[in-house]
Amino acid sequence: MTSAVSVRGLWKRFGQQVAVAGIDLELPAGKFIGLVGPNGAGKTTTLSMVTGLLRPDQGSVSVVGHDVWRDPVAVKARIGVLPEGLRLFERLSGRELLAYSGRLRGLPGGEVDRRASQLLDVLDLAGAQHKLVVDYSTGMRKKIGLAAALLHNPEVLFLDEPFEGVDPVSAQTIRGVLERYTGSGATVVFSSHVMELVESLCDWVAVMAAGRIRAHGPLDEVRGAAPSLQRAFLELVGAQGQDAGANLDWLGGGAR
Amino acid sequence: MTAAGSAGGGTAGEGAPGTGQVADQGPGLVSGQGPGRVPVSRPVAQDVTPVVVRLKLSLLRNGLRQSGGRRAAWIGSAVAVLLFSALQLLGLVALRGNAHAESVAVPLVAVLAVGWAVMPLFFPGGDETLDPTRLVMLPLRPRPLVRALLVASLVGIGPVFTLCVLVGSVVAVAHGGTAYVLSVLAVPLALLVCVALARAVAAANLRLLSSRKGRDLAVLSGLVVAVGAQVVNFGAQRLGSGGLGQLDGPAEVLGWIPPASAIGAVHSASEGSYGTAVLQLALSAAALAGLLALWSRHLTRLMTSPDGSTLPSAQGAAKERTSTGLARLLPGGRTGTVMERSLRYVWRDPKTKAAWVTSLAIGLIVPVFNALQGTGSIYFSCFAAGMLGVQMYNQFGQDTSAFWMVALTISSTRDAYVELRARALALLVITLPYATLVTVVTTALIGDWPKLPEVLGMSFALLGAMLATGAWTSARFPYSIPQEGYKNVAPGQSGLAAAAVVGGMVSAALLCAPVIALAIWANVSAGGDEWSWVLLPVGAVYGGMITVAGLRLAAPRTARQLPEILAAVSKG
Repeated sequence: MTSAVSVRGLWKRFGQQVAVAGIDLELPAGKFIGLVGPNGAGKTTTLSMVTGLLRPDQGSVSVVGHDVWRDPVAVKARIGVLPEGLRLFERLSGRELLAYSGRLRGLPGGEVDRRASQLLDVLDLAGAQHKLVVDYSTGMRKKIGLAAALLHNPEVLFLDEPFEGVDPVSAQTIRGVLERYTGSGATVVFSSHVMELVESLCDWVAVMAAGRIRAHGPLDEVRGAAPSLQRAFLELVGAQGQDAGANLDWLGGGAR
Repeated sequence: MTAAGSAGGGTAGEGAPGTGQVADQGPGLVSGQGPGRVPVSRPVAQDVTPVVVRLKLSLLRNGLRQSGGRRAAWIGSAVAVLLFSALQLLGLVALRGNAHAESVAVPLVAVLAVGWAVMPLFFPGGDETLDPTRLVMLPLRPRPLVRALLVASLVGIGPVFTLCVLVGSVVAVAHGGTAYVLSVLAVPLALLVCVALARAVAAANLRLLSSRKGRDLAVLSGLVVAVGAQVVNFGAQRLGSGGLGQLDGPAEVLGWIPPASAIGAVHSASEGSYGTAVLQLALSAAALAGLLALWSRHLTRLMTSPDGSTLPSAQGAAKERTSTGLARLLPGGRTGTVMERSLRYVWRDPKTKAAWVTSLAIGLIVPVFNALQGTGSIYFSCFAAGMLGVQMYNQFGQDTSAFWMVALTISSTRDAYVELRARALALLVITLPYATLVTVVTTALIGDWPKLPEVLGMSFALLGAMLATGAWTSARFPYSIPQEGYKNVAPGQSGLAAAAVVGGMVSAALLCAPVIALAIWANVSAGGDEWSWVLLPVGAVYGGMITVAGLRLAAPRTARQLPEILAAVSKG
């Protein structure tokens, strides 16, 4: 089995705080991979370093066999990214954003426009294609970001919290597109803290907490004997048995 | 009162689903008495005015506590405003007895009122207590709220300044016992009208101000200030030559417009026309009542209906944006794509637009106004090139964190070079014709046509130097431009930004030294005049060459430092 992404000894500190504390990971190609963890686990930091948007303090990352920092030409052409917390060029309309992004990647103009039309249709954005992205809702932004990341048909797609703040209808649309995409043999790596979603979508998961990988492997393996990924996850990160209700007796209702 | 209050709150709440508690409960009532629940807070029936005033003071104090720089800036501006108010006061007092005293005092108050009216439109974030939607969840009645907010607005530097001007104005125009008595009424009345005006305008336009279009508008405020300052400067010089008598006519009319009519009343009383005085004062009082009523109505509506950000935009389908004729003229590949995006942003991004319009306006105003006043030199037209060249600075900061889209497509020095070159070209599309135009217009006004080629050559050389240093500082010293508000530098990066721009401009001037030396030689040496036309091609070629050199120097650094640049521009 070949690796889509291979991470070795990845570290990142922000001042005193260690965001990512030595990650080693081999992500298999052609899979739907979920990176799960609580808020502040280092998911975004990890994905930023893997995609070349953040320089690691230590360690190496290679995507489909090419080192991200030594061979950016080969890597950047092969990956699509939807980051979290970074803007898009919001003063372009949805269609203009796709046209800009595709041409910037060196695709021929006609081909970009053809693909953009199809993506806008499939993602249900055709009606809003001439609206400025700044006036888009959260779900629409995620969808236009996904379209921009898919436009050049990358081998590996990195999505940071693609379902955060997205309504169920848009989420279903995004799911459909991603399933279709992995069906062609491409790899999707996405981060989320919604376990049900990861459980229903992914066939391979990596659990992150406090800057480290706690478990990784096929979904069934990570879940083990636990009834759901949620349970398995809570056990892994050691968040079980915290009785939150004990001190809030003035709320009424009593501890359950 | 409290029992009736909760019943009223219920009905108002039904009329406005989703906004929650409304203005119809008793002041200070903070209890939610659901069935079967323990009452958590006791109803307190006290006036909210001291609370709101204390809130304003706390906001002011905490704002100052945030950073030393901010405190220094606030104290600096406070001292400056106080000094200015004192000078203004002295000036107005000195005007006492002058035949044209009222012709200065009355328009001055009118201008002040216009300032109060315009202020909230341009600085909506300036005063948090100005935003009634923040108080929407509190059970407050509109009347006590209006009173409380009005009193709170009297706290601050602005009202102190206004008070100084008003006191100065009445001192300048008041003569006789009746006038003195009227003054005591007129000053607070005029001050309240000013403050109420600002509040009413803010409340009436809050919908607009909290929408995107409104925030876009606010960003253009810098432009209004810059251009307004030039116009005022120009007007003042005219006035200086023409004398104060020119203001008599306008002052006559303005004396009937509140709040200037309050000062007009004092003047009328000094001249013995008591009927007119009472009428003018009554006008101001009526204006105050009207403004308060208007404000109160808008406030009630704002607090009882859903705010604009939660409503779906009912603008209908956006108009189709087709690719313009310009796009077809641009070259293909990365160059054309980047140029098209840059040019679209000049028009569509409020921050970029404000920066451009300011540069274009000042680049034109300085040389042309100076030429009109006869104090200008033809060399001032290089100012246009310098002002416009500044737009090349912090290119990636202008992208904000959307720079990641660019960063993901730059994988070699060549990509970075093409990206930077395209941005410089997009700039030149506007700058080159504009700088030429300004130079030609200035030359025409001064009438020194033989100097035109020389000045044009210097303009082009300066433009090239600005582009070169701009490209290099973009790669070396990127900084964030916050998208909200009117600041152009993210907190903590102002030193970096100032160093980049000032250092860049100084180096640009140094880079132009050979062309400037040549120009000096052409001017001082005998027979040099005949060769001054050479400066045009020399300047143009030199400018082009250093631009390319600057881009070549900036490109490798850009390609190497992409993550660092992204981090630096994502702070806004």
